[in-house]
Amino acid sequence: MSEFLQQLLNGLSLGAIYALIALGYTMVYGVLRFINFAHSDVFMVGAFIGYYMGKLVPENTVWGGLVVLIVAMLGCAVLGMLIEKLAYRPLRGAATLNVLITAIGVSLLLEYSGQVFFGATPRTFPAVFPSVNFSFGDLVISSNQVVVIVVATILMVALEFIVHRTKIGTAMRAVSLNPKAAQLVGINNDVVISFTFGLGSALAAAGGILYALNYPSIDPLMGVMPGLKAFVAAVLGGIGNIPGAALGGLLLGTVETFVNGSQWSTYKDAIAFAILIIILLFRPAGLLGKSSAEKV
Amino acid sequence: MAAVLQLTQATIKFGGLTAVNAVDFTVNENELCGLIGPNGAGKTTVFNLITGVYQPTAGTVIFAGQPLAGRRVNEIVECGIARTFQNIRLFGSLSVFDNVRVACNLHRGTAAIHSLIRLGAFRADETAITRRAEELLDIFNLLRFRDAPAKSLPYGEQRRLEIVRCLATKPKLLLLDEPAAGMNPTEKVELIRLIQQVQKQFGLSVLLVEHSMKVVMGVCSRIAVLDYGVKIAEGSPADIQSDPKVIEAYLGEDHQKSLSHH
Amino acid sequence: MPRPHLYLLLALLAAFGVSYFSDRIDPYHLDVIIGIGINIILAVSLNLVNGYTGQFSLGHAGFMSVGAYAAAAVSLFLGPRLLGAEGGSTLQQSLMFLAALTAGGLGAALAGLGVGIPSLRLKGDYLALVTLGFGEIIRVIFQNVEFLGGALGLNGIPAYTSIFWVLAFVALAVFTVTCLVHSTYGRGFLATHDDEVAAEAVGLNTTRYKIVAFVIGAFFAGAAGGLYGHFKMTITPTGFDFTKSIEIVVMVILGGMGNTLGVILAAILLTLLPELLRPIAEYRMIIYSLLLIILMIARPQGLFNFKFGQVKL
Repeated sequence: MSEFLQQLLNGLSLGAIYALIALGYTMVYGVLRFINFAHSDVFMVGAFIGYYMGKLVPENTVWGGLVVLIVAMLGCAVLGMLIEKLAYRPLRGAATLNVLITAIGVSLLLEYSGQVFFGATPRTFPAVFPSVNFSFGDLVISSNQVVVIVVATILMVALEFIVHRTKIGTAMRAVSLNPKAAQLVGINNDVVISFTFGLGSALAAAGGILYALNYPSIDPLMGVMPGLKAFVAAVLGGIGNIPGAALGGLLLGTVETFVNGSQWSTYKDAIAFAILIIILLFRPAGLLGKSSAEKV
Repeated sequence: MAAVLQLTQATIKFGGLTAVNAVDFTVNENELCGLIGPNGAGKTTVFNLITGVYQPTAGTVIFAGQPLAGRRVNEIVECGIARTFQNIRLFGSLSVFDNVRVACNLHRGTAAIHSLIRLGAFRADETAITRRAEELLDIFNLLRFRDAPAKSLPYGEQRRLEIVRCLATKPKLLLLDEPAAGMNPTEKVELIRLIQQVQKQFGLSVLLVEHSMKVVMGVCSRIAVLDYGVKIAEGSPADIQSDPKVIEAYLGEDHQKSLSHH
Repeated sequence: MPRPHLYLLLALLAAFGVSYFSDRIDPYHLDVIIGIGINIILAVSLNLVNGYTGQFSLGHAGFMSVGAYAAAAVSLFLGPRLLGAEGGSTLQQSLMFLAALTAGGLGAALAGLGVGIPSLRLKGDYLALVTLGFGEIIRVIFQNVEFLGGALGLNGIPAYTSIFWVLAFVALAVFTVTCLVHSTYGRGFLATHDDEVAAEAVGLNTTRYKIVAFVIGAFFAGAAGGLYGHFKMTITPTGFDFTKSIEIVVMVILGGMGNTLGVILAAILLTLLPELLRPIAEYRMIIYSLLLIILMIARPQGLFNFKFGQVKL
């Protein structure tokens, strides 16, 4: 039983990270109807910003950790908005496939630039937060896992607040429901979309820092797998649906952790893709999404 | 006259909305019928029902004695029904000729693999298809545009091409969805003549959805009127024009009242 | 194109001719030409799926890997048994190789069927992701199958690939795709891409067209994989990952989707470029990705797209 709980805890911790990344995918899909392939690499950049910031602050302090987190989130917010302005905005209105390919291009650009400038060899992420282990009987919780769960929860609650209680959040929802009508009621779609990218990228950066805390080996290609899995989580929950992304993330993280602890652990990467395929075939709208049909 | 198409109590519901409500309608052989009604009455939905885009929630659709239930769109085309679309759907990247040629696939003489093996039978088949497509284009004066991209054609020609493409599938019933939309009066007259010619020359039955009264009255022998998914009237053009229910549906209750005061 | 079989025959004779003189060509250049040929086969076959039929597949490398493994399995496991310890005569080896390549192609075609059928009802983004997912699943499966080498892959694959085989399969791939697409039957692929609703409305079974495109595309990707395996003599699961799929997609886009000649030129260019850029090899992928972004913004129809009215993205 305690092993089950341990795995569950590990799974929720991993799932919380997937959820943070998935939120970025789902928000961008909501306002632009496109999948931002480069999102996983913003996650990676966040981790690297954290790495370099981590050298400037003392290790093992809470405030040091928070500074690293906030700087990474701000830095990636700017990066996300920059990418949107330079690479995606010129293609507003073009065929979705064109934009998808551009997104792939941006993703590759970030990955390979990272390899050239950071070097391809993995680095060890500094222990920016104090690192202790708490034991409850057989259950072991590391402080980093606590940080993950606490930070992820705070960020998701903050996101809910922004989306449902602020003007810009309402504007986001308006643009995702009907961009043309949103413009007609005076919403500046460009600002809203920019903000959405910024917000999503900040969350990805947080995900990157939290991920690096628990899996301290970072390299320029670290975003690929978690990014793909977070995307699956977003689709699982219903792409475009914010609570869905959170739910999807937690579910996927949990399932993956259990598979990793079982005899099929070498297939754990394939699990996410299998789930993706099953969901898209049988319930493409996801667990919490609504389906729509094409008018002939 | 034998019935070629028979809708019996055909109904389509989308969630809470009943788009087509227990419609009974028949098209007979060699008949040119019209289906009219205000915007949103469900006319295109009826087309989509007949052509298999939607399955009926209730009721049946029978074509040439065969029920169409459960068949896919392309299977229904094989049975002999062809349609045009409200917003023209040509194959934009293909030439005018290829748009018709691709529709000849239904009655191709050789199997697909022959396009790789290319023996004599294949070449004969391709020649026959080319000749047939060119003949069809010629009848409608589109042969001079043969190699032009379909989307470069003027609007009226595009509509004609869509009809030619239908004819390439050798249909028995032709469904035309607002073929006169966006046309000026001269073009409409030309279209009327064209539809009549097509019907006679190819021995088809035609069901026409149209907004333009001029086209409908001028060319249909029998008309059905839909309003909010319900068939409210059926008869000859003269009957329909003087039917109070039809007038009310198009012009509103006030007009009906003002008419009855005279 | 009248009398395509004649062209095919000429191409095969030319391939034979080139290979006859191949010992006069610098081995490094020969290797580059073989690399170009394999990429042409991959690009032209993907072009049938992505360019002509409009099915955005991001899993082509997965089919390549199935073909590579199947062909290698035939050579490594069946080969010694059929050819004996000395390896048999050149003719026997050639037949063995043909069998291996056919097995590779058919295995990949089967995989194409398996991937294509469930994926068909999906469009655009979703289709791209499902095919990517399948590609990754194939990779993970090969990493876990011990008798195929697991994560370390297979090595010691006999070096059967010669310039003749590569050019012959290039000719076959181009012949197949071109003949198919230009026939009346083949116009259906383009119609399916342009407007699926209209295609169904003229009696085309769009589902079948999509499956056929996937299967044929996969077959040639598998053959290319077999050629690759017997060229490099060693294959690993990670060599056929998502990045490889992207490389092939870039060739198709650069060439102009649905433009076989353009795609061939793009494959040549994108194979030569890394060789020419060897001095700045580590910047190669950065240039790749910038190219992709700029292309999409400035010239989405591709670099080599000269015909008006080409298939739109």
